[in-house]
Amino acid sequence: MSSLPSSASTGKESGLRVPSNGKTIYHRPINRTKTSELSQASFAFLFSEMVAYAQKRVKGIQELEHKLNVQGHSIGIKLLDLLLYREPARTQLRPQNIVALLHFIKQNVWLHLFGRQADRLEKSTDAEKPDEYMIIDNEPLVNQYISVPREMSQLNCAAFVAGVVEGVCDGADFPARVTAHTVGEGEMWPGKTVFLVKFRSEVVEREAFLAKS
Amino acid sequence: MSYYFAIVGTQDNPLFEYEFGTSKQGGDGQSRFTEQVRHLNQFILHSSLDIAEEVQWSHGQIGRGLTGGGSRNGRYLKCIDKFFNNYISCFVTGGNVKFLLLHQPTTPTSTASSRSSTAIGANPTSPATEEAIKMFFMEVYDNWVKAIMNPFYKANMEVRSPIFRARVAAAGRKYL
Amino acid sequence: MKVASKGHSLFRIDNTRRVWFSNSQDKIDILETNSKAETRFMVSPSWPDTLNLTLVSPDSRTVFSLIIINKAGGLIYNKTFHEGGLNKISTNDYLVLAGTFHGVHAITARLNPVKPVAPPPTPGTNEPPNRPEPSSGLEVLETENFRMQCFNTLTGTKFLLFTETTQTNVDVTIKRIYDLYADYVMKNPFYSLEMPIRCDIFDRKLLSYIREINNR
Repeated sequence: MSSLPSSASTGKESGLRVPSNGKTIYHRPINRTKTSELSQASFAFLFSEMVAYAQKRVKGIQELEHKLNVQGHSIGIKLLDLLLYREPARTQLRPQNIVALLHFIKQNVWLHLFGRQADRLEKSTDAEKPDEYMIIDNEPLVNQYISVPREMSQLNCAAFVAGVVEGVCDGADFPARVTAHTVGEGEMWPGKTVFLVKFRSEVVEREAFLAKS
Repeated sequence: MSYYFAIVGTQDNPLFEYEFGTSKQGGDGQSRFTEQVRHLNQFILHSSLDIAEEVQWSHGQIGRGLTGGGSRNGRYLKCIDKFFNNYISCFVTGGNVKFLLLHQPTTPTSTASSRSSTAIGANPTSPATEEAIKMFFMEVYDNWVKAIMNPFYKANMEVRSPIFRARVAAAGRKYL
Repeated sequence: MKVASKGHSLFRIDNTRRVWFSNSQDKIDILETNSKAETRFMVSPSWPDTLNLTLVSPDSRTVFSLIIINKAGGLIYNKTFHEGGLNKISTNDYLVLAGTFHGVHAITARLNPVKPVAPPPTPGTNEPPNRPEPSSGLEVLETENFRMQCFNTLTGTKFLLFTETTQTNVDVTIKRIYDLYADYVMKNPFYSLEMPIRCDIFDRKLLSYIREINNR
């Protein structure tokens, strides 16, 4: 462990500006208040600009999805700790296997971000792919107002949400690759999206090892 | 009683360190580490990371009392390692960042031995000490979550906020 | 069989082809009509021996089509909801219509006298100074067969809705379309301002909303 430059403790000028009443974010409670709901319209405009911003800096659809994924990733990492913190004290526990983690994502993460749970959780039926799981959302909130042009039909802007999921997985030490795929289901759910979670092989290995012990 | 507290990131990189002494039983809150031991502390703490990683994935063999079920593990791993007179307690956050606290009880030959036998820390594995350290960790965790929610904070970045430091110091004074 | 009143009167024809009078309990069977639901008839004054109902307008509340014009006068959206309500014209003619209407609207807005301004707020208060109401310009255009209503947004985008002359609540319909536009066009990252609107979800939501009105 390399030593940190211990200048912070010697009272170097930090250049930090503190509100005049001295109340920083550290002085406020972190638990949810009743007025914590956000306007969906303002989120829609923000997200729209995020997609447009990413689009200006990429060449292809894959690159665009990757950009959105990266934007969501850091949110996922931070959200993991926040949501675990907000769990009732008795259940403030770290998810320790894949199913517990995915349930945490389906319930807590979705509830926090979108006000409802994800619609379904599935394990790949392909025996060759024990590392693949699917989180299914019939109507992703982020895509509610988005019509993807025909020439970009491969794109699903929920790649951003996939990034959040990936961030949660990575943060919890279950490194995974998460992608969003549109699987429209007729008139009923034209925007149905599957989030494919592909864990790294060492996660599956560890899972098997822990199950044995 | 002297404490050395460090936060270690997921790449085993140090993010924050703080050294303090007990404020209970008339302690002045100053650590009593010698200059030589001060460097050793970092090694001791670092060497306990392997144990921490082992314990965090084991199904509550050590932290049995805290684990609710088999699928999720408690984050407070209690005292996980001992090196001579140095005890190390660990707490793992959801994001796999480890809070490590090295506590070194004052040697029993000190003049206040009769009084410190009941004091927190005199017996590093007693339930009272475990509880006090847990409270300390929980308070740090509260502030840690606030620190990492900072939009300018990226995972595994050193935490430099002087307010965070002050809050950790306050938690140390309050519980240890 | 009696008719309660002569001249203009309101009738309702139910699906058993029976006429109900709006101001009495009387009812009569009718022989010939080409209407669907609710309609207005003129009763021949020479009656009571024979009932002669003349259809004043074909019933119905049909929304024929929608045009959206951007603030530069370009046509950015054009959708027909009801075949046969209006004659078909070429896309080019639609573009001309949009441009022409835009110009006419601008001129009529200049004709419109500006309403007197409320007195300026007393100095010292923080209220912003009053501004005159913008003049509205052309709002409704009516022919024998259709009615065109224009809704001009604050940013200068115009929604033109072609409906039947008897259509009611066009204001509400047009506001709702504006809502849909604000949601599904303006919040879509792939839409560039002032360009033709090609948004699947907007089309879908608009069609289902208009279908709901046309089938009522």
